Order: sequence, then structure tokens, then C-alpha cells
Amino acid sequence: MKNFWSLLAAYGLGWAIFFGYLLTLLKRLGRLEEKLRRLQAARQVSRPES
Amino acid sequence: MNVLRRAWVICAKELRVEFRTHELTLTTGFFVLLVAGMFSFAFEPSSTEARTLVPGLLWLAFLFAASLMLQFSFLREQTDDTLSALRLAASDPFAILLGKAAANGALLFGIELVFLPVFIVFYNLPLSLLSAPLLGILLAATAGLSLVGSAFSALVARSRMRELLLPLLLLPLLSPVLIAGAEATAEMFDTGSSGGRWWGIVLAFDVTYLAAAWLLADFVVQE
Amino acid sequence: MGRGQRALVAVAAIWLAWAGYAIFIVAPMERTMRELQRIFYIHAASGLVGLIAFFGSFLASVGYLASRQDRWDWLALALVEAGEVFCTVVLVTGPIWARPVWGIWWTWDARLTLTFVLWLLYAGYLMLRRLSEDAARRAMLAAVFNVFAFVDVPLVYFSIRWWRTQHPGPVIAGGPGSGLDPRMWHVFLTVWTGLLLLLLVFVLQRYRVAALEAALEEEELAPMTDRAVREQAS
Repeated sequence: MKNFWSLLAAYGLGWAIFFGYLLTLLKRLGRLEEKLRRLQAARQVSRPES
Repeated sequence: MNVLRRAWVICAKELRVEFRTHELTLTTGFFVLLVAGMFSFAFEPSSTEARTLVPGLLWLAFLFAASLMLQFSFLREQTDDTLSALRLAASDPFAILLGKAAANGALLFGIELVFLPVFIVFYNLPLSLLSAPLLGILLAATAGLSLVGSAFSALVARSRMRELLLPLLLLPLLSPVLIAGAEATAEMFDTGSSGGRWWGIVLAFDVTYLAAAWLLADFVVQE
Repeated sequence: MGRGQRALVAVAAIWLAWAGYAIFIVAPMERTMRELQRIFYIHAASGLVGLIAFFGSFLASVGYLASRQDRWDWLALALVEAGEVFCTVVLVTGPIWARPVWGIWWTWDARLTLTFVLWLLYAGYLMLRRLSEDAARRAMLAAVFNVFAFVDVPLVYFSIRWWRTQHPGPVIAGGPGSGLDPRMWHVFLTVWTGLLLLLLVFVLQRYRVAALEAALEEEELAPMTDRAVREQAS
């Protein structure tokens, strides 16, 4: 196949960019959800029974 | 029209402030001179090369200078928080924007008028190139870019790194003006044309941003 | 991630796998550039999707300016970021295509130049947000800038096109309406739809990130509001 490496590079890089972005998003989501859960739990503990 | 009168008052005030010290015009003018000189250090064009390169250089120098100068439009209002006073006094954000843009545009156009001959001299071009269409398209472009630049100055007035941010935001947006201006000027230099359809881009730019500024002035000019 | 969103990701993944097959097996071989021309599908489709994303963000910003509701701001941000990702892919695949064909890495081809300017414009949007000190005003400033940026797009498009007709140069071939073989056209549509699904995935997740960050901010302030409420009651 002529220009095999160029084709590979193009699609490889393209998909790397797409996946990379998606992964950073999902990681960020995970961290944020975790943080939110912790904060909400802490607040439940510290809030006096009304 | 009320808006125009208010804008005029603000424009006059801005110009009066500038004429007291001339600090903006002097420093900006100096910058244009610097760019003109540095270009020749970097490229040392022959007189034939200069004829092809100077149109682009002209516009680049003016755009860079403008994107530096326009910062100060709303930046000035940060100290002593004069913007609130201005809003109370003028009560029409569009008038404020228009007034500032007009003042900035006038100052910029003045600088362009002064330095055009300097470019002609530095690169040994015939004085006949200083034609009415050239001045016309410069004026039209300067009007549009002053309007957008002044609006952006308000947007970045309270950001970090605003000195770098304003050019970063403004210059990509101005690429149609740069392309149209440089191409039109090149055509004027080469064939003595009056700018052809490039005028369309510049005028479309002006009209578009006049409308955008009118619609969004309230959001742009806030404390 | 909810069940619906997981389903969407699955659909997108399957569709894109099918598109991959279409690109390499179904699509016919182009006469002059042979295999290399297959880059066209991801290159041009990404460009189109990026443009759609930016248009969407323009609408979202208008929505924010009209309603002042944060969710429009979150949507605008998500669309701009996703758009930038697609633009990046265009700018990366372009040179990889150009190099073997013309021996040059970069060419100021109309589409590539337009994409470059768009990339710069919207990078400005992202930088403006990042550098805004005033969190309360940040959404507003970004929305205004977004509107200004988008109305520039037709101007950029025409000025670059006329510039390129004035000074013709290499054209990175193929684009909607440039006389595409019908089979190629079908493959292109498949890829395009797949990338649109991917855009949807990106935007949904990025939106959630923005919403979560807002919720977190509120949660961090919650102890203070709790205390204030208690002090009020006592």
C-alpha cells in the first residue's frame, strides 16, 4: 500500500486526539464526582440534627 | 440623534485627555516606526521586493500597533473606577463604546497618516502611491478595528495578562481586514486599481461589528 | 454516567467502527493520490463537525445572553472545546496529507487556512475564560466574545477564498460539492455522522464537568450558608 505510514499517522494521530480528549474528560468527571461525594458526606456528618 | 451626540461628547473628552499628554499617540507612533525599521533589518528588501512586501508590512504594523494601543481605552477607567461615573453620565453603553471607538479610531488614523509617508520614504516608493483609495480603505478598516478593539478592551479590562490577551483575541478576528487591506493595497500599488472587491470585505466588517456592538453594548460596558 | 449516556457512547463507537471499515474497504481508490486520499474522510468530516460545533456554541452564547442561565454558558464552553478538538484533527491530518503529495508540510490551502484562523479565534475564547479574574462576569464576557468571533467566520471565509483565488496554491482536494464519486460521498456521510455522534458524546461529558464544577462550588460554600441559616434561626 502506497503511503501506508502517512495514512497510519493521520488516522492514528486523529484518533489519539479524540480518545485523549475523551479520557481527560472522563478522568476529570471521576475526580469531580468523588470530590462532591466527599463534601456532601462531610456536610451530613457536621450538620447538627435539627 | 441622541446617541450620536452623547458619543461625540465622550469622543471629545477622550481626545482632550489624550491631547493633554500625547502619551498614546507618541508611543504607538514610535512602535510603528520601530516595526518599519526592524522589517528592513530582518529582510533588507530591494526596491522591487519592497514594492511587493510593503503593502503587507504596512497593514501588519498598523494592526500590531492598534492591538497594543486599544488596551488603554477601558484600562484607564479601571483606576478610580471612572467607568461607573461614565455610565451614570452617559447612560447609553452604545454611546460610550461608540465615543471611545471614534476617539481611538481618530488617533489611529492620525498615526497612519503620519507614518504612511515614512514607509514610502524608507522603501523608496513613489509618493503617487499615497492615493485617495488607499487613505479611504485605511480609514474604513481603522474604523472597524477601533470599534472591535475598544469593545474587547472592555472585555479584558479585568483579566490577567490583558496586555497579551487583547492582541491574542483581536488579531485572529482581524484577519479578514488584514487580508483585504494588504491585497487591496498591493493591487493599488501594482495596477493603480482602487481596491476592487476587497472594499466589500472591509465595509462588511464595519457594518457587521457596528450591528454587533449596538446589540451587545449593554453586556460589553459593565462595571 | 447514566444508562442513556453509556448507550450513546456505545452507538458512537459502533458507528465509528463501521465508518472505519467503510473508509478502508468500501471507499474506492482515488486515481492520482491512491490510498493517501483516504485521509480526506477524517480531515474534511472533522472540519465540518468543528464548524457545526462552533455554530452551536454561538447559539448557546446567544441563549446565555438572552436568559443569563448558567447552563447555556456550560453548553457554549463544551461546544467550543469540542470544536477545537475537531479543528486540531484537521490541522494535524492536513500536513500529513500534504507532505507526500507536494513534498511540503504546510500549505495555505483555503480550508487549512480557515481552520487555522478558527482555531486561533476559539483558542482566544478558551484563554479569555481561563484568564478572567471575575468569575461572575466570566460567562458574560465569554458569551460576548463568542458572538463577535462567530460573526467573523463568513468574513474570514470569503477573504481567504478571494485571497486564494488571487494567489492560487496547492488545494488539499475534495470537499462537499467538489464532484465526489457517489461511493465516496456515502462513505463521507457515514464518517460525518459518526463524528457528529462523537461530538455529542464530547459535549455531554464536558457539560457535565461544568455542571459538576458549579455544584462543587456551591457545596464548598455550603457550610457558610448553613451557618448563616442557623444564625438566622437562633
